[in-house]
Amino acid sequence: MRFIKNVFSQLHTFVLWALLSAIFWSWIFTFATDTSPEKKVSVYCYVPEISEAELSAKLEEDRPEGIKMIKARSFEYVMFNVDYIENGDIFILPESLISEYDELLLDPSGGVKIYDAKSSSGSATEFIRYPEEDCYLFLGANSAHLEDGAAEYVAENITKLD
Amino acid sequence: MTELYTEGDVLRLHRKIAIWTAALGVFGLAALAACIISAATATTLTAERNEVAAIIISSLSGWVIIYCAIFIIGGARKESGHAKTLIDGERERVEGKISLNGERLKIKKSVAVRGVEVVTPDGTKRFWISESRVKKFKKAEPTAIYISHGYVAAYEERL
Repeated sequence: MRFIKNVFSQLHTFVLWALLSAIFWSWIFTFATDTSPEKKVSVYCYVPEISEAELSAKLEEDRPEGIKMIKARSFEYVMFNVDYIENGDIFILPESLISEYDELLLDPSGGVKIYDAKSSSGSATEFIRYPEEDCYLFLGANSAHLEDGAAEYVAENITKLD
Repeated sequence: MTELYTEGDVLRLHRKIAIWTAALGVFGLAALAACIISAATATTLTAERNEVAAIIISSLSGWVIIYCAIFIIGGARKESGHAKTLIDGERERVEGKISLNGERLKIKKSVAVRGVEVVTPDGTKRFWISESRVKKFKKAEPTAIYISHGYVAAYEERL
């Protein structure tokens, strides 16, 4: 009884501590699990569902030289920070959205078909749940890994995934 | 005369504060080490799980430390400060019909106290006694009390 009374008298301190812990460790993990764009290949997917960690880990099994991390992200991840997406290295988009994001794509008309809605087959379906339409893979127009070939290397690896 | 607080009590409280501070320090460092290890060993696949683990470890250990620091170490510190004041303070002997009047008070940055009333030939006088010493005081049925800074520091009991 006394314990509960004591806890309630300091409830604000306990709540504040939990919030500070969450903010602090999220910040630390962001640094611990991220690196500069030069050492990272970012893959942005406009799909209903994606196993980000699993796909990233799978792609990291075969990294191009000089690349420390491969980050597969859903578009939702970058909803509040357009800068991330503008520098994306690889994009996976449904056909209907290609024209909307064509400025981000190196060659909007030269995407590689990665999912066929008709046959419900495509690449990386183990990690990505595609929408009910064809999806295409593009290299990013502002990618930092066009010259070193890392973006193309990872894109190829994605197309090879089951 | 029976003292409510002795130098031995103060020493015991100081030892309690030191032991709890050391134990919480070790506990806090262990929790911090666990969080750092979980951050340092995070891989792409385990990052999310490790982050949640670090937040949970940090929150729970922080709650334990906050609780103990405020209510155990803080309580002992207040009690020892109160005891030292009563031991070192000047005393006044008051004799009469002594009873607890049921009044309770939590003095900010000090101990919880209970009201004591003494009916003397000159009228009724009111003092305070530390809540932690009420049980001992009640049992004794005192006939006279020694007051220091308005608090009961010692008492005489019926032989």
